[in-house]
Amino acid sequence: MRHPALRLAVAALALAGTAIAGYLTYAWYGGDDVGLCLTGGGCETVQNSRYAELAGIPVSVLGLAGYTSILVLAALDGLRSRVLAAGIAAGGLAFSLYLLAIQLVVIDAVCSWCVGNDVVIALLAVATALRLRVTDRF
Amino acid sequence: MAKRKSRVKAPASAPQRGGPSRTLALALAGGSAAVIAAVLIVISVTGGGDKGAEPPLPTTGETQALLGDPGLFDGIPQDGLVLGSPAAPVTMVEYADVQCPYCGEFAGRSLPALLDEYVRPGKVKIEFRGLQFLGPDSEKALRLVLSAAQQDKAWTVLELLFANQGEENKGWVTDALVRQIGEAVAGLDVEQMLAGTNAPAIDALIAKAEAQGQSDGVRGTPTFFVVRKGVPPHQLELGSLDVSAFRPALDAALTP
Repeated sequence: MRHPALRLAVAALALAGTAIAGYLTYAWYGGDDVGLCLTGGGCETVQNSRYAELAGIPVSVLGLAGYTSILVLAALDGLRSRVLAAGIAAGGLAFSLYLLAIQLVVIDAVCSWCVGNDVVIALLAVATALRLRVTDRF
Repeated sequence: MAKRKSRVKAPASAPQRGGPSRTLALALAGGSAAVIAAVLIVISVTGGGDKGAEPPLPTTGETQALLGDPGLFDGIPQDGLVLGSPAAPVTMVEYADVQCPYCGEFAGRSLPALLDEYVRPGKVKIEFRGLQFLGPDSEKALRLVLSAAQQDKAWTVLELLFANQGEENKGWVTDALVRQIGEAVAGLDVEQMLAGTNAPAIDALIAKAEAQGQSDGVRGTPTFFVVRKGVPPHQLELGSLDVSAFRPALDAALTP
């Protein structure tokens, strides 16, 4: 059973996520030449915290990798691709919720771009899970 | 009747909606999600395994060298938390957290030029308002700066703390570092600074800066305001921490 609209929604959400993660990556490596994340809001506080990096890799880069992977998987569209996309999206959602809790409880600052990402990854987790309502076999 | 029955029966070879294939797919997706999330969260919680050895402490000479020769603040009066001539017509207020990397970048990259162009000639004075929202090392460092302010050495200690910033909240504001910095600041009584960090006056200064920050709508650091008598304080919207980003607002404030 195919769901072209759902597939399109997954691709669109993955594109939106890629844009957000891409901007945050640009802001990370662009340093002070990027103004949007520098003053106002808790964005720079979050970006400056130790939670913005994972084993030396900026979290935004991991997000970028996740979203582009989902985008590629949406293009491939086999059952295995759908399962993998749903796994990445749900794992990403769980990690995003952890980071949101860190922002609220530990850092005491919330990055609006991160919240935007949280919304996108939540919708993406739902959309990719719905795409598992399939009748194909592995 | 028989026809109707056969219509609702699914062919034996096709998987059912919600049958084994779907269950397997959900289980695999859920399993991979759990693995992905668990790995990421564990790495994040444990600090990414990045627990390399602490960098060696700079010597007193190296610490003094950070202030330059002639010294960064030579010829500039310090009064408590204010750096510059009391008669300067314009005040630039800086809200900063000693642990904030951007604040450190401002101190190292732009402050020297601002001192040369605006502060040393007596045009602008800079007031430090310390915040401590990034964690325990922020508070420890801020208390030292505020205690040094009692000896009018706050800006010198602050500059050296910025220059020695360590990994956030990993205990980089060590007693050894503090003593090293204290000894590098000419005319500073280190014991007096250390003894004064928990004085009620310091608590009051911290509370005051926090209240001012809230009232000024400060939501991150560094945040700068330009203040000129008779004109409402103006928050700088900076796209960069380069000295060129400060010039327009300061020049405008200095223009009668």
